[in-house]
Amino acid sequence: MLATVLGVTATTTARPLAVPGRPARRRNQARDFRTTRWGWAYSAPAVLIFATFVIVPTGYTFYVSLWKWNALNPAMSTFKGVGNYQRLFAATQPTFLSSVWHSLYFSGAMVIGGTAVSLAMALLLQRGGVLLNASRVALFVPHATPVIATSMIWVWIFNPRFGLADWVLHSLHLPTSDWLQSSGSSMPAVIIYSLWHEVGFTTVVFLGGLATLPNELSEAARVDGCSAWQEFWYITWHQLRPVTTFVVAITAITSLQAFTQFYALSGGGPVYATTTLSYLVYQEAFVLSDTGYGAALAVVLFAVTVLFTLVRRRTAAGSESSLV
Amino acid sequence: MKTASRKGRRPAFGGAGRAGHYARLALALLIGAAFVFPFYWTVVISLGKPGEFSNFPPALWPHWQWSNWSRAWNAAPWVRLFANTVLIASGTVLLCLVTSLLAGFAFGVLRFPGRKALTLLVLSVLMMPGTVLIIPDYVLANDLHLLNTYWIQIIPWGASVFGIFLVRQFFLAIPQEILDAAALDGASRLRVLRSIGMPMVRPALLIIAVNVFLGSWNSFLWPVIMTSSTMDSSNTVQPVEVGLSIFSSAEGTDFPGLAAAVTFTTLPVMVFFLVLQRQFIRGALSAAGGVRG
Repeated sequence: MLATVLGVTATTTARPLAVPGRPARRRNQARDFRTTRWGWAYSAPAVLIFATFVIVPTGYTFYVSLWKWNALNPAMSTFKGVGNYQRLFAATQPTFLSSVWHSLYFSGAMVIGGTAVSLAMALLLQRGGVLLNASRVALFVPHATPVIATSMIWVWIFNPRFGLADWVLHSLHLPTSDWLQSSGSSMPAVIIYSLWHEVGFTTVVFLGGLATLPNELSEAARVDGCSAWQEFWYITWHQLRPVTTFVVAITAITSLQAFTQFYALSGGGPVYATTTLSYLVYQEAFVLSDTGYGAALAVVLFAVTVLFTLVRRRTAAGSESSLV
Repeated sequence: MKTASRKGRRPAFGGAGRAGHYARLALALLIGAAFVFPFYWTVVISLGKPGEFSNFPPALWPHWQWSNWSRAWNAAPWVRLFANTVLIASGTVLLCLVTSLLAGFAFGVLRFPGRKALTLLVLSVLMMPGTVLIIPDYVLANDLHLLNTYWIQIIPWGASVFGIFLVRQFFLAIPQEILDAAALDGASRLRVLRSIGMPMVRPALLIIAVNVFLGSWNSFLWPVIMTSSTMDSSNTVQPVEVGLSIFSSAEGTDFPGLAAAVTFTTLPVMVFFLVLQRQFIRGALSAAGGVRG
């Protein structure tokens, strides 16, 4: 059956107008095949899953955020109106504003550091042979391993008494650090881990972008006497702007959502120094069982994410794929 | 301008001559080695003598002390936890493939009223992140008595925006006459999708499968919250990453044991990745391709 279908295909695609018969009817039949209310049924499984577990629950978060929610017996919840939102600005430890600052600190460093490092790595590894491909795979491996598993190892790498990180610094005669055990260096430590885990992915994205660039402009620039740096700055990077926008947006959004490395590496500490908005949502809702307040924090997180997504959509029209 | 005559873009680093080429290669290999070194070190520690991990400078060669491995292996029901992960990940992949194929076909091939609106609705899912959903979905799962089940770990993740749009993209790229011709021959829509469409979008399905599988294997917050009240470890529905986290908080000071547990729980994903790395990298590339499409 398949063979006959493909046989017909070959003739129709090769000489669509030369096939005898009634072209008008054929076109109609093809249109009938495409134009159908059954399209709803085909999309239904995916749409139902999204509706049940994503779209409706997002609305429900708003609802929960208006209550002093009783997790054990929701019927016992009491209505608070905007009370949970007013509490955002009350001076409780850790404060909401400090968690927002930590989220921005982490996301900003991940966006700037991650984009710069992965762009540099992509330029280093582009159009390489076997060895450069091996390096590319090496860079990507951390991204393929579970955050919880590798975070546990990095806790020991960052150990200030016998960890690898301080050993490397020590060998290079650089001042060592307390890493996760001091409030000043714990966020940089989490950022270093996260860069190690993420840049493999964004490097490959940049490599994909580099592979699609036409050569003519670079050649013309070279003929005109551009230096390698000028060629990169004015030609290559300029052409990579859509890819850069994508990398920035995807890094910003995943960084805002990042949870597991904070859970495993620093537990939000010391002294709340790594308590981000995402971590605070978990902490309030599931550790302290203040579901309503956690929901209010989640709504803020949602608003920030929407903002990022809209900025991305405006700047990179037509981008519709993303991380799973 | 020594390289002016060479075709294409010159590499940004060390574009000039052989010495530059080797410098570039050496730098790339050094960085690559630095990225995989933590894995090597984990294996070294897992095979180290007791107490050796707290030496400074750290040990860099293994001592083949397999006792750490057997101690860690006996401390938790790893086989059960592995089986849970494989079951959850495979179930999620299967569901994702079906939903992505059907919805991608609908959005890419079929025309129906409300298609645009539905497409936007699916895209909006990207703006609704897991951390925000965990609270209402926990309440929902509690109401539906789905906590501590496999279902709550599979079904909510059984549709992927990335998957749907990847399949749609593939359908838009194949010659449209092929599908029309099959329909003309009297094949039903489902038949066209199964016999003609599916073979042609197979690369997309493979990319989706490896990415969803990895995503499921890596998920942590969701299973922690949704299976938090599991008591009986012999009937646990928790995946291996959650088991690893529990093991870590119980035996956190036994670093060689923890390193062994991390090694044998991560090794299968690593092998999986290395075997299918082309698909992973194609997945990342198609993420970049989506920017321009």
